[in-house]
Amino acid sequence: MNIKQNSIQMAAALLKERLEGRHPELGIVLGSGLGRLADAIEDPLVIPYASLPGFPVSTAVGHKGNFIVGRLSGKTVIAMQGRIHYYEGYGMDMVVLPIRVMISIGIRGLIVSNAAGGTNLSFRVGDLMIIQDHINLLPNPLIGPNMDDFGPRFPDMTRPYDPSLIRMALRLGAEMGIHLHQGVYVGGTGPSYETPAEYKYFRTIGGDAVGMSTIPEVIVARHAGIPVFGISVITNEAHDDYADDYVNDGDDVVKAADAAADKMSRLISRMIEKM
Amino acid sequence: MPNINTNQPQIIHAAAAYIREKLQGRKPVIGIVLGSGLGRLADEITDAVVIPYSEVQGFPVSTAIGHKGNYIVGNLSGKCVIAMQGRIHYYEGYGMDEVTLPIRVMKDLGIQYLFVSNAAGGTNLSYHVGDLMIIQDHINMMPNPLIGPNLDEFGPRFPDMTRPYDPSLIRLAQKIAHEQGIYLQRGVYVAVTGPCYETPAEYRFFRAIGADAVGMSTVPEVIVARHSSIPVFGMSVITDVAHATDDEEYITDGELIVKAANAAADKMSALFKEMISRLP
Repeated sequence: MNIKQNSIQMAAALLKERLEGRHPELGIVLGSGLGRLADAIEDPLVIPYASLPGFPVSTAVGHKGNFIVGRLSGKTVIAMQGRIHYYEGYGMDMVVLPIRVMISIGIRGLIVSNAAGGTNLSFRVGDLMIIQDHINLLPNPLIGPNMDDFGPRFPDMTRPYDPSLIRMALRLGAEMGIHLHQGVYVGGTGPSYETPAEYKYFRTIGGDAVGMSTIPEVIVARHAGIPVFGISVITNEAHDDYADDYVNDGDDVVKAADAAADKMSRLISRMIEKM
Repeated sequence: MPNINTNQPQIIHAAAAYIREKLQGRKPVIGIVLGSGLGRLADEITDAVVIPYSEVQGFPVSTAIGHKGNYIVGNLSGKCVIAMQGRIHYYEGYGMDEVTLPIRVMKDLGIQYLFVSNAAGGTNLSYHVGDLMIIQDHINMMPNPLIGPNLDEFGPRFPDMTRPYDPSLIRLAQKIAHEQGIYLQRGVYVAVTGPCYETPAEYRFFRAIGADAVGMSTVPEVIVARHSSIPVFGMSVITDVAHATDDEEYITDGELIVKAANAAADKMSALFKEMISRLP
């Protein structure tokens, strides 16, 4: 076994010990400002990343760094309150470590969320977008010796986001009166925001939203054959005109994400109930 | 820990302190990065102090053809400027911390504007060798130089890039060019690592995504300058043009290109000098 695999198993073993017999069946990654869904988890067990071997401390604005294990909509879930970002300077092994640890303790589905910029001109701040597909402009997290215990050398990416979960979200969204876009998420490294020319580029190649996370996590989950549901909160809009007064501001992003977080939390809770 | 150099601020401050001492009280207000073949503007800096990069601790030695490796501090158009005669390229194998170190040192020295220049290939089919292009915007296909722990004293974690190139400096350049009869293109620069030149298919790709010129530098420098909110003006000399087909007869005439680039460099120097003289 290589060192990477060893560190995953060590962290997973320690995490398992601390779960007091609970068996999370679903993993949830809570993106920028969306951590409040964690408050809805009943009987929560909070496990700081920093208390697990091999884990770093997440530094992004609006991010905490905890696993939260408990009951949500009648299921035992494990939520990541804060993720590890590539732009923080960590290698991809570190970025995807929490996902692989969750896979190791037996999750059977993964829900990922993020805050993203809308490259699609019809998107507005506070909109929700179901991630139907992605374009990866980050380094691929599977580069390196393949972890055969997790999945194949060349994993299929035909359906990165589970079609039946997407259909369920659309149906529930309609029932609950929550408007949902469907679109393609482009993952770049950041941390600087996109230029207007980059926004146009992403739109030209078929991107509807752009962000700095999520895809590495989805790739390692799909590597292990785990069904994924992804959703983006649109926290800023495309700006093509070099307008003198427009700025992209980290605090505004967190605010817009907070406002949409409630809608997203209700949707995700209902989905989990039906899963 | 992230696999990134965490004592970068100390390296920057130490280098700036060394240079400040050499400057004996001069305070450069404008930084200028002189790209491939454009170094001659440095000759017009009067009362100049030359500081080789190799003298400054923490600096690598630039190796690119046509590049020297010096800071030149002195007077240009009535302003105290600091020019980089030669830049550090990612394709040389240096990390982004090193590539952007000279810019951050100039920020530490107190520059209020940054002028960047480069030689670029024209992906826009209407461009000709020797054209000057105002960089209006860029597409970054190099690693982002801000990856790693944020240097809070330089700027925010997620810097805005809505106006990477200062609109008022662009307007000033256009006004002066109009007065002086200098024809300027204006377009989007796509930055790639190199060092191999682009294939015809890559040229088509860049054109399709909205790029007008392609090169192997500049954008990392602009990103760290904008991280610190320094207004940037950028200009490309088109030294190579798109060859849209895989035509077997296509050939690059080296001599013609050098001539065209030199003529363009003179125009660019004149423009930069006039712009600098009109800055507040």
